[in-house]
Amino acid sequence: MLARVARIVVVVAILGLVVTLALAFRRDPHDIRTGTVNKPAPAFTLGRLDGSGQVSLADYSGKVVVVNFFASWCLPCIQENPALVRVYERYRSSDVVMLGINFQESRENGLAYVQRMGILWTSVADDDGHVALSYGVFGPPETFFIGPDGIIAGRHIGPIDEETLVTAIEKLRGQAATR
Amino acid sequence: MNRGVLIAIAVLALAGALAFAARPREATADERVDQITTELRCPVCQGLSVKDSTSETARQMRDLVAQRVREGKTNAEIEAEFRAAYGDWIFLSPPLTSWTGLVWLVPVAALAAGLALVTGRLRSTGIPRPSEPPSSTEVAALRERVAREEAAEG
Amino acid sequence: MSAGDLGAAALRAALFLSLWGTGAAVYAAWRRDARALASARIAAGVGFGLVVVAALSMMFALATHDFSILYVAENNARETPLFYSIISLWAALEGSILLWTAILAGATAFIAFRGTVAIPRLATTALAVMFAMLTFFLLLITTPAADPFARLAVAPDNGNGPNALLQNHPLMALHPPLLYLGYVLTSVPFAYAIASLILGEGGDRWLVATRRFALISWALLGVGIVAGAWWSYAVLGWGGYWAWDPVENAAIMPWLTSTAYLHSVMVEEKRSLLRTWNLALVVATFALTILGTFLTRSGVVNSVHSFSLSAIGPILLGYLVAILILSVGLLLWRSARLRDAGPIGAPLSREAIFLFQNVLFMAATLTVLLGTLYPLVAEAISGAQLSIGGPYFDRVEIPVALALLFLMGIGPQLPWHGASRATLERQFTAPIVAATLGAVAALVTGTTALAAVLTYALGAFVVATVMQEFGRGVRARRTLHGEGELAAFANLFRRNGRRYGGYVVHLGIVLVALAVATSQARTVDTERTLAPGDSVEIAGYTIRLDTIRPVSEPQRDSIVADLSITGNGASEHLRPALVQYPNSTAAVGSPGIGAGLRDDLYTILAAYDQRTLSWATIRTRVIPGVSWLWLGGAVIGIGAIIAALPAPRRRAVRMPVAEVAVSAK
Repeated sequence: MLARVARIVVVVAILGLVVTLALAFRRDPHDIRTGTVNKPAPAFTLGRLDGSGQVSLADYSGKVVVVNFFASWCLPCIQENPALVRVYERYRSSDVVMLGINFQESRENGLAYVQRMGILWTSVADDDGHVALSYGVFGPPETFFIGPDGIIAGRHIGPIDEETLVTAIEKLRGQAATR
Repeated sequence: MNRGVLIAIAVLALAGALAFAARPREATADERVDQITTELRCPVCQGLSVKDSTSETARQMRDLVAQRVREGKTNAEIEAEFRAAYGDWIFLSPPLTSWTGLVWLVPVAALAAGLALVTGRLRSTGIPRPSEPPSSTEVAALRERVAREEAAEG
Repeated sequence: MSAGDLGAAALRAALFLSLWGTGAAVYAAWRRDARALASARIAAGVGFGLVVVAALSMMFALATHDFSILYVAENNARETPLFYSIISLWAALEGSILLWTAILAGATAFIAFRGTVAIPRLATTALAVMFAMLTFFLLLITTPAADPFARLAVAPDNGNGPNALLQNHPLMALHPPLLYLGYVLTSVPFAYAIASLILGEGGDRWLVATRRFALISWALLGVGIVAGAWWSYAVLGWGGYWAWDPVENAAIMPWLTSTAYLHSVMVEEKRSLLRTWNLALVVATFALTILGTFLTRSGVVNSVHSFSLSAIGPILLGYLVAILILSVGLLLWRSARLRDAGPIGAPLSREAIFLFQNVLFMAATLTVLLGTLYPLVAEAISGAQLSIGGPYFDRVEIPVALALLFLMGIGPQLPWHGASRATLERQFTAPIVAATLGAVAALVTGTTALAAVLTYALGAFVVATVMQEFGRGVRARRTLHGEGELAAFANLFRRNGRRYGGYVVHLGIVLVALAVATSQARTVDTERTLAPGDSVEIAGYTIRLDTIRPVSEPQRDSIVADLSITGNGASEHLRPALVQYPNSTAAVGSPGIGAGLRDDLYTILAAYDQRTLSWATIRTRVIPGVSWLWLGGAVIGIGAIIAALPAPRRRAVRMPVAEVAVSAK
């Protein structure tokens, strides 16, 4: 009797194993979700890269904010930069704010990168990396979309393209308009 | 000295040594940082803990944990801060509180099931007959067995 | 004809021969046809030769940088040194499978020529199973799934070079081949087990036939795992030797079941019990090696060996499913015939201890399996993402390991069938005292973590029991054969290699356990940013940063930190480095390790001033006892060799009756 039960358990367990492994193929090992989406964006106050003062997230309350974490040693950041520049130009005179947060490098290197890549939007330095950690950043480049209500509406890991940027921004502007 | 007494003394001493090793101790600040960072997963590595990783991200996380410990936060509060930012994924062992904690039951269940199966197959008494000198038929059988085993060993 | 053409042709010819051999072996077993067996033998022998030719061709192509072959273009470059070019045969998927196939072909040939002489029908059926498996792997490497000789239309000027981590250390020559030998040789007992089930032979002949193969595959797998731990330690540079990475878990699971098997098979030999269980263990061990290969190659779990997702994943999964269906089906079909006659033994008998040990090993294996797959399961069911790593496995497996250490001490001391109280008292007084002394030794050396103290106590316990066994063996030989002490000791190994070699293996395991306990309990580390001339102190050592300098070689650029170590009687120079290979985006850390019997000094160059080399962040770890891990591995290997060697022919011994009564106690 016990042997019969044991046999059934073994067969079921092996079936379970095989089904699990088969299901595993559907999963994308690079898709990792974290905990900050749909939560209020963590507050911060960071110094500008060019040393000309400080910037707080609270300065932009009520606006759509696109936060881009970057570093000069990050190759995909260089790849995505043209898209960021184009989007910045498009929304330059509107309510949309673009903010670059430089981390895991010296301010000098960050500033040199910003000047070299033609980054005209505000850039700040996260010296000890704690702001990146509070946002749940895995590594540059990462882009966060914060709505006018201060909630993180979405985020993108890896180099971002123009279309994704625009879609996310428009969605948030739509929300802002209906308030 | 009687064997039984010697065994008793040795067992007591062993128990004492183990009790000493297991005594509850207040952890130092450094030890607390180690405890917490051992449980945190480095986000940019292949499954390494924040304590072991040499990456810059891990270093910054260690830094943050040390700062929070200095500020007087408890282990639970510090872990909650990381969970808020990264989700349960950031912990290297699943938390007991959610349903994912079932995985802790697996080894216990496997051991219990195995022990149940095995003890079911064992005899209750197993004390062998006291030894007497073997009879001549037993000796002949033993000799034959020796010869057989020698042949098999080679 | 280039090396690539030769290799590809050789593999296709081998595939044809393997198909022929499968058919010939099946026919030979079915009809007991000697001629069919002879042709199967030839197919096995020539097939093996052809696969070896293919492997050598690939090595030649790598050494001569033939970039018209895709595998060479991806894993070799003109600047790659000759040594690393050659061992790049197993640097990536296709070449690894070629190596696997070569070993499998060798095992098949061995069975064809040696095995079929001893037990013709059983071995021939096993040969057919081996040929079938060989055919599968040959199909893999002659089709686009994993063809190592696939060509590029236009050969590039220079190749990518091997993965940075795979050309950083000569250990790359040892770890994969050892592991693969261990993996592949588990297929031999498996083939015999399947043959035994198919033929419906209730006997234990298949055990005797494969005993040595099981022991050898276990030993190679174990040594391969220790080599992997050494790799993790010396090459990956994070300061540890085991991270419960999915691929490490994949290797240890078959080793755990194989260890269980080696012990429970003794119960079957002595008392003809547990037949179904032993067959199941052999099947499980082999199936776990395929599962391990699947986990490593398919990309379904993120790990240190991260290969890209390819077609090979579903194919290997299909192979695994086929094997499981075949073996479990056969086991269920034949299980009625294999049932045990009655109860196994008393709770305090050697059989019972072996059974408890098996339960512990199976619980350990199941835990590792589920822990590795759980994140997949959880995500598939609920989308929850979670991690299972070191802290989980450590918490669960350490108690199991301690229990196993305990059983390792009492098992060999208990007689078969059962023990009386007087026996117990006599046997275990000295070991219990030793255990107490071990615990005290731990506390005295500053190892105060509970698990570590327990390990010391149980380790001393096991050592005492082993020494008792050696003492008894020497005394028995002196009484029976009148040999001197030294001769008696040596003859214990010669005449009874299985038993006493096994004890040596147990001693090796104790060394490994002590190494793990000591290193986990007492490792200290410190991270400091230093300028040249600065020093940092830790655990009595002084580490001084002398210089930071760049080093340029044809295949890589490095930044090296020169460190001087003094204190605790040590005086040496270590050179941790950060190495940049052209084909990788991130630099690879190369640790500077000062090994010692008492501690290892482990230094890492974590970061440095990229502009002017004016500072470097040095991380130093003092790891006590880790050298005992490698020593323990060597002792395990030596013990396994002793156990595997055949005993010399024995003269018949006539024993007086009185001595028989004495030695039978």
